[in-house]
Amino acid sequence: MSELIFTPVIGIEIHIRLKTDTKIFCSCSTNTDVEPNTHVCPVCMGLPGSLPRLNHQVVEKGMLAGLALNCTVQPKSLFFRKSYFYPDLPKGHQISQCDLPIVAQGFIEVHDANGNLKKIRVNHLHLEEDVGSLHHSASDGRLEGAAISFVDYNRSGMPLAEIVSEPDVSSAKEAVEYVTTLRRRVIYSGASDVELEKGMMRFDANVSMKCSDGRWGRKVEVKNMNSFHALERAIEYEIKRQKKIMLSGGEILQETRHWNDAKGVTTASRVKEFYRKFIVEPDLPPLIIDQAWIDRVTSMMPEMPDVRAKRYVQDYKLPQEVADFLTDVKDLSDYFEACVKAGANPVRAAHWVRTEVLRVMNEKQIRKVADFGISPETLTNLIAKIDGGKLSTTQAKEVFDYMSANNCGIDEAVKACGISEGGVAGNMLEEIIKSVIAANPDVLDEIKSGRDTKGKKLKFLQGLVMKEVKGQAKPQEVSQTLEKILNA
Amino acid sequence: MAELYELDLSSASEGLKAGKFSPEELFDSCWKRAQSCEKNIRAFITETEDFAREQLKNSGKSSSIFDGIPTVLKDNLCTQGIRTTAASKILGNWRPPYDATVWKLLRESGAILMGKVNMDEFAMGNTCGNSAFGATRNPHDISRVPGGSSGGSAAAVAAGYVPFSLGSDTGGSIRQPASYCGIYGLKPTYGMVSRYGLISYGSSLDQIGPFARTVRDLQLVMQLLAQHDPMDSSSFREKNPDFTHNPNVNLKGKRVALVKEFQSFTLDAPISDAMKHVEKILEDEGAIITEVSLPIISKYAVACYYALAMSEAHTNLERYDGVRYGYTVQDAKGIKEMFERVRSYGFGSEVKSRIIAGTCLTEPSRCEEYYVAATKVRTLIAQEFARAFENTDFILQPVTPSLAPKIGEVDEDEMKGYETDLYTLPVNLAGLPGLSFFTGYAGKLPVGLQLIGARWSDPELLNAGVVLERRLGSPKIADGGVE
Ligand SMILES: [Zn+2]
Repeated sequence: MSELIFTPVIGIEIHIRLKTDTKIFCSCSTNTDVEPNTHVCPVCMGLPGSLPRLNHQVVEKGMLAGLALNCTVQPKSLFFRKSYFYPDLPKGHQISQCDLPIVAQGFIEVHDANGNLKKIRVNHLHLEEDVGSLHHSASDGRLEGAAISFVDYNRSGMPLAEIVSEPDVSSAKEAVEYVTTLRRRVIYSGASDVELEKGMMRFDANVSMKCSDGRWGRKVEVKNMNSFHALERAIEYEIKRQKKIMLSGGEILQETRHWNDAKGVTTASRVKEFYRKFIVEPDLPPLIIDQAWIDRVTSMMPEMPDVRAKRYVQDYKLPQEVADFLTDVKDLSDYFEACVKAGANPVRAAHWVRTEVLRVMNEKQIRKVADFGISPETLTNLIAKIDGGKLSTTQAKEVFDYMSANNCGIDEAVKACGISEGGVAGNMLEEIIKSVIAANPDVLDEIKSGRDTKGKKLKFLQGLVMKEVKGQAKPQEVSQTLEKILNA
Repeated sequence: MAELYELDLSSASEGLKAGKFSPEELFDSCWKRAQSCEKNIRAFITETEDFAREQLKNSGKSSSIFDGIPTVLKDNLCTQGIRTTAASKILGNWRPPYDATVWKLLRESGAILMGKVNMDEFAMGNTCGNSAFGATRNPHDISRVPGGSSGGSAAAVAAGYVPFSLGSDTGGSIRQPASYCGIYGLKPTYGMVSRYGLISYGSSLDQIGPFARTVRDLQLVMQLLAQHDPMDSSSFREKNPDFTHNPNVNLKGKRVALVKEFQSFTLDAPISDAMKHVEKILEDEGAIITEVSLPIISKYAVACYYALAMSEAHTNLERYDGVRYGYTVQDAKGIKEMFERVRSYGFGSEVKSRIIAGTCLTEPSRCEEYYVAATKVRTLIAQEFARAFENTDFILQPVTPSLAPKIGEVDEDEMKGYETDLYTLPVNLAGLPGLSFFTGYAGKLPVGLQLIGARWSDPELLNAGVVLERRLGSPKIADGGVE
């Protein structure tokens, strides 16, 4: 009997918070660094008599995010009421575009197990409001069994985009690449910063298994993954769990399971899913997006990372892997572009950004390039000084470190490092070279005898000279002067 | 000289502006009148005398015709810091942190709030008896209902508490009590008056409108309230309509239609007499009486209305869970028990039955057959009305087939109930304006009829009302059970 082969069939739902100044249906601020229940109003508290009004910035961000996923903007979409009772849901229903979304039918490319590109189809992206956040006194942090629970409605009404994929994902690895690529593209579009540590991206996965003997397992919805790592582990766990059940001839229950990150397992949801029904939101008219609006937003659409990487290879002659590396994080790539725009040699700028800038950011634990003290213009100037022979590479690194540590300009850093630009030259250099030669007569003999065919001894003398001048001489001038003296 | 409380809005405003009396004197007269009638009529849920007296300190500063004019609001309109109940136990002593847009407009114009008045719980009912605060009575005969759901607003104006008031109309809740109480009431075109701050029943059907004892006063209130409100996404965006009063308007050449399908319906004698009388007056005024046929509406509008109203209502009422405001319980074991106890105690039985109906109508296995089907029928209904208004300017019909019934009296005639619904509900489905106007008295009970216009024809509709009032006479103030 041949071995049974199991193929995972996975669909992924992603919630992303869109980047807007105000909430989706009211004018409360989306800033979260405030006391609980301070950024609230009658609308996002669902007070009797209040009415939602759609924030146009949310619509545009939704369109941008959709375009980043290669989706088509729908000329007419609708909002619905998604009913269920929960204390974090102030109206007892969530306003969501669930049935008629703003954008539909896109895709994201990932690599399959054989390294070939495959498309994960995006069914749609729809707009909806977030709910409040609950804080429970129970030890497991859940509502059931908690003696006291607190609700903070600051998050209520935050604009969300829910992105629903087709069940095209076949492994945890593909899932992670799908969400990583999707996140990168959404950040590039400007629709969201998708800061994972701020909970701006949450995942659910629908996992089922197809067996080579023709059996299909039922679909299991896995919830509560808040990081790429959690998503990967949860899917891997679920694939193993379902495979084991199917191998032993058992039945997979159609259910919702909760990912427990601390224990690394999924557990059947203790509460039965709330019964949900939808009616059209009567307080919001249909969202009509005309071609002019679509065109305007499309023209606002920034360059996507893959396009940008291609441009780096073609225009800047960067190797593909360097281009991919730089475009992975948008603000790093933006920093690099600013250097090139300021006149830096692209290859050298790419090298500096990848090595020195990232090194210092890591050392100082700076998360955003925007918080990095050295501007692209300053780095460009520094690179120009190397190219112009005014600083050696070693010197430039010293100056760079000093600038980032002391938040100062190039001139001040150069002075502080005890470097005189251009360094030791001319007569002064000649004298030093002569004294070095005088101190090493045996080396001189060897060179004169013609035995130094590989120029090793000459290099040795150059090294001694450089050491003597503390690196503050142009290597080219050192070797020229040295040769001149030797040949004299 | 007549008592000040007998003055209509325009006359009271003129008197104030001419300095014939002060805002305090006007309020005192109205307040005294209200107090003498209230034990019989029971229109108030919350009296706001203290608030009113604070407001009066600032009266006389605005040039608005509303400055110093007392009014009452249906208790489903939010008033900042003042208890707002929707006549339900579930809202407890909730004091909204904000004003409904309509009250904001009136308050900023200097109108004085005398109180929040009774209604059927969450506007569900047509007697004003389905209230957690007891029944309001008809000021013309306190053994009879004032109508509903805006019964308190209608009774207060009819009895002379205030010259005008606001109510809301989801399926006749302004027009029917106006008719039972013998005053004028306008259900404006959907979208003409902001709903922000109106506690929702059926959001796509609800509309706020005024009650008054003259059509001119309705025009004055509409001139203030009919303006775009960014807080309400269904609020119109066109330029403000012109409700300027012209006492000399006429109806020459205007077409007024009767509905063909309604002609076989049974009407009590005073109503059918009034219909004939008004037709004659209209012809006299140069109008042309025609007929329109509304077959789809006659067949499907009532079922369509209930499916949509219940579906919207049950989702609008989902927010009452005891977590954030209103009635709550402290000792529930777990969130489920809390929700169950709050909602079981807080809602009255009529509200509960509509929540259950709405839940069933939108339940996934039935949703297509009922809710979705109703939304499609609604489009057909709006189209049928639109076609009808290509051939007529107004439709004339009763508001109800009978005069105000006795309190507790239940009409078992189902056919009559269906016909009653057909006079009022379709207007809300199509978002049309409907004017309930006074025609005269049958004994001591007033008789009202209804004139319906095309969408956004509210100014013309009120002009027609001016003509009718000129010919039929204005209502007298009801005795309020005291004289
Ligand atoms: Zn808000």
